[in-house]
Amino acid sequence: MSRQGWTPEIGPGLTLAEVVDEAFDYRGNTTIVRRDGAEVVGYVFNRNAAVPDPYLQYFDEAGEGPFTLRYAEIATIKFTGRDTAAGNSWKAWVERRERERAEAARAGRLISGPDSSGRDPDPDGR
Amino acid sequence: MSVPVSQMFTVATYVLGQRFRGRTRYPLVLMLEPLFRCNLACAGCGKIQYPAQILKKHLTVERCLEAVEECGAPMVSIPGGEPLMYPDIDRLVAELVARKKYVYLCTNAILLEEKLDLFRPSKYLSFSVHMDGLREDHDEAVCRDGVYDQAIAAIRAAVARGFRVTTNSTIFDGASPLRMRQFFDEMMGLGVEGMMISPGYSYSKAPDQEHFLRRAKTAQLFREMLTEPKRAWRFNQSPLFLRFLMGKHDFECTPWGNPTFNIFGWQRPCYLLQDGYAATFKELMETTAWDNYGRKSGNERCQDCMVHCGFEATAVHHTFSSLRGLAETASVTFTGRL
Repeated sequence: MSRQGWTPEIGPGLTLAEVVDEAFDYRGNTTIVRRDGAEVVGYVFNRNAAVPDPYLQYFDEAGEGPFTLRYAEIATIKFTGRDTAAGNSWKAWVERRERERAEAARAGRLISGPDSSGRDPDPDGR
Repeated sequence: MSVPVSQMFTVATYVLGQRFRGRTRYPLVLMLEPLFRCNLACAGCGKIQYPAQILKKHLTVERCLEAVEECGAPMVSIPGGEPLMYPDIDRLVAELVARKKYVYLCTNAILLEEKLDLFRPSKYLSFSVHMDGLREDHDEAVCRDGVYDQAIAAIRAAVARGFRVTTNSTIFDGASPLRMRQFFDEMMGLGVEGMMISPGYSYSKAPDQEHFLRRAKTAQLFREMLTEPKRAWRFNQSPLFLRFLMGKHDFECTPWGNPTFNIFGWQRPCYLLQDGYAATFKELMETTAWDNYGRKSGNERCQDCMVHCGFEATAVHHTFSSLRGLAETASVTFTGRL
């Protein structure tokens, strides 16, 4: 399920580290809200929570970067950008293609099949 | 098998040199991704699912060459994205060839014919054309009709001009062994040097996990596909890897064998999984928790993976680990019997 549109509230049930992990997995831009209230839009491509001063890295909306931001400076992260992975699965494509083929086949029958009089428009099967 | 003798010699001396130095973890093929942008949008391909500003970015040639030097692997595979959309691909390839790196330029071949003039045939350069099966199967895999025919025309043109051309096929769940055998016939009939095959990739972020082959099913499929191989078939990969795919070996993954470098840095731990990035190759090798990956680790994401970027290096390592491994490889190479 896509996180697109998610505005998590950090609290007892949800840590900032968990939200950063979700942002790292997210294939769209996010809005990083800093503790000083400033916001920055960008793509979070890396994070390291295994160091004494955990940090994330991102490219901003213009593609500039990479920029590094310490967890300590972050209030939360909003999942504001389009999830580029959503709806692009192999399964969705196969289903779409099968649907289109079925529709094309139905349309073909309507055009070349027996007409309303019951006569075959192509009795020789050409 | 179809790997040229000079390339085999280079790889053999490199691997033996690493072993002589007592190195247990060393790279074999650098996966160099100069960009993620592509002119196809294959369903489930995690490489192109990024916001626009990321897809517009690419590495500089200089940064690519730094990565190549840092890594030191004798072979460089350039996937992507579509590398022929990289604006400096000709300069990058020329620099790599000048450094005597064996380059596999992995392309869907849509732009290959019109860009052939940018390159000069060399034993160090091979166009590795993405072909996932016969016409209908391939066009379905890449989600666009007509790509197979474009690729065939490009392969013919490249072969005619003296380039090394190989094919690179990802075999998905539900593939027909019989059709794949027909596909092998067709590719060899085009005059390609050899073929590379691998089970479906299993990107953690790819949304179609259910379509990727599970190990046992994979072995069965590849056994049916490769049993009694025709003499005309040539595979541009380790014969022991093919035997592994057929269930005749039980290898463990070598995630550091094919390190991946792209605009984000050095990808941890491998080409398929994205658990983070290191700033340098040294940092990647020294700070990645390698024990957390591979089947023995219990990592759920590694359990069904049999992809070449994890196991080809294992197969090569196995070849040079014992006389038995060497004899087995030599036997398959000379007899063609898998």
